Amino acid sequence: MTSPVLEFRNVSFSRGPRLLLDRMSFAIEKQEMIALVGPNGVGKTTLLKLASRLLAPAAGEIRLEGKSLGAWSRRELPRAIALVPQELEIPFNFPVEEIVAQGRVPYQPLFGAGTELDRAAVEDAMQAVDIVGLRHRVYSELSGGERQRVKIAIGLAQQPKLMLLDEPTQHLDIGRQIELIALLRRLNQRGLTILAAVHDLSLVAANFASIILLTPEPSWMAGPAAEVLRPDLVARAFSVGQADLGRYFARPAPGAVAQA
Amino acid sequence: MATTAWPDRSITGDDAVERPVAAATGEPAQLERKLSSRTLNLVLLVALLLSIVLATAVGAVRLPLSQVLAALLHPARAGEAHEIIFGLRLPRVLAAALVGAALSATGVLFQGLFRNPLADPFVLGTSGGAALGGAVGIFLIPSLSFAGFGATAVLAFVGSVLTMILVWYLARAGGRFAMETLLLAGFAIGTMLNAATVVFELHEEASNSGLRVLAAWLHGQLGILTWSQVGLLAPLVGAAVLLALPVAGRLNTLALGEEYAAQLGVSVTRVRMATVVLGSLLTAAAVSLGGLIGFVGLLVPHFLRILIGPNHVRLLPAAALGGATFLILADTFARTAFAPTEIPVGVFTAFLGGPAFLYLLNHRTRESRQ
Repeated sequence: MTSPVLEFRNVSFSRGPRLLLDRMSFAIEKQEMIALVGPNGVGKTTLLKLASRLLAPAAGEIRLEGKSLGAWSRRELPRAIALVPQELEIPFNFPVEEIVAQGRVPYQPLFGAGTELDRAAVEDAMQAVDIVGLRHRVYSELSGGERQRVKIAIGLAQQPKLMLLDEPTQHLDIGRQIELIALLRRLNQRGLTILAAVHDLSLVAANFASIILLTPEPSWMAGPAAEVLRPDLVARAFSVGQADLGRYFARPAPGAVAQA
Repeated sequence: MATTAWPDRSITGDDAVERPVAAATGEPAQLERKLSSRTLNLVLLVALLLSIVLATAVGAVRLPLSQVLAALLHPARAGEAHEIIFGLRLPRVLAAALVGAALSATGVLFQGLFRNPLADPFVLGTSGGAALGGAVGIFLIPSLSFAGFGATAVLAFVGSVLTMILVWYLARAGGRFAMETLLLAGFAIGTMLNAATVVFELHEEASNSGLRVLAAWLHGQLGILTWSQVGLLAPLVGAAVLLALPVAGRLNTLALGEEYAAQLGVSVTRVRMATVVLGSLLTAAAVSLGGLIGFVGLLVPHFLRILIGPNHVRLLPAAALGGATFLILADTFARTAFAPTEIPVGVFTAFLGGPAFLYLLNHRTRESRQ
């Protein structure tokens, strides 16, 4: 039996006096595409940072491919897991190509330039997200959708097994949101395991088979979309009345349209 | 109401790769093809050599270029010009080159570290800290000296490192650098330096020569320099720039932010420490030779960024070469333009760099307000 790509075992984390994650456990298998859902400030970004070792859990264990996260070397880890952050601001006029090339840093020694393999990985990454034509453009002058794709390209250049994305559809119009989700689906079909924090529940219901729902208690629920996106659970997680969910959203409740 | 035909095309299909996105946007900000950095470095090297010959020829006694060139190639046959060329001018010209190279390279390193094009050793106050450290050395332990430096140079380095660490902790708020704090810290250090020099002036035992050295430092004057000073600092500056090259590669990753760099396996602490130590070493070298020469580390990298782009690995050697040439020319102008009066080169670079700094500041502030 192969071990899960990512596994949380009784992971707890507090920020100051506030407990954000309470003995959380879940496992993500190879090639799953999972949405991380929950209200603002509930700890979605924190969970992604824990999974990429930018934060350390207060208790519990996180395993990547069966190996405890702490046992991965500093340069090995980014070859297995890539975090695509919510915000990326870049000073100076760095062109897109040089930014994507930073995804190869975990493969490069301190001295010496990139190899042919590095260049090929950067080309592949840019091709996969359709930004080859933007290679000489300055990052800070790109549109929101273009920036999002550049960020994903950095992650792809890392050639990871697992990609974590923090709100990849934020600030995007509906056309760019669809493009982005379609891109994630394509990458997933090619074998990439994906865990993405997404706010839009209808987008989640229609595109993600499994969901991790974080609630403020703190508590969590992980499972198939149809089970997790039940109106009563969603209403409780987001602290709204069940009736309001139906009244203010076109669909009665996201759970009703979820397909297994 | 008339309906407009709406082309029904899929935006999610697998044909997405064939769709030329860039062509559709018209590539308005397409960068022009940048100068290759090898070509630029070659041009800068030639410019440096030419400026050395030119600067050695120009002065109160004007020497023909051919005579200077011959003397440089065959020092034994320099004849009566030997003393002017090798005793007076060449040490100063080479010192200007070293100071310019050190300041520009430091500018590149600090700008990468702070992710801010305004970070310059003078602006941040690290030059001031180095001068303050050096002043303490001149006045309190003048007996300790070696090849014209001794305690002064060591204390200049200590002053530079301490200032850098101080500025770092003051300016860092919430993982980002507040520009106001960064600039105010530099201002505060500069003011403290001025105050400290007044104390030194009042100090009765303060030696006259110490005061003169200090005054020259404060205005950024390359005065009479000895070969031993140049000989000691040349390998130091060269080694620091070479050691900074791998650090520069990591500064490119740091442009994505400290957290992102950490995620990509970069040891941010180590990069930060290496940058501070190398930058402070270069600043101390520059200050102990030429004092407070401002804005060189700001002007030269900014101009070169326009030519070859912001990649720190390409920028660093170009900045060292370009900075050397720039300061040789600036110093030559400063000592000859109003002859027989010499204006300190620091005064001249302030006239050039001040407006450039204000322009950049205005540009940056507008950008961050958007």
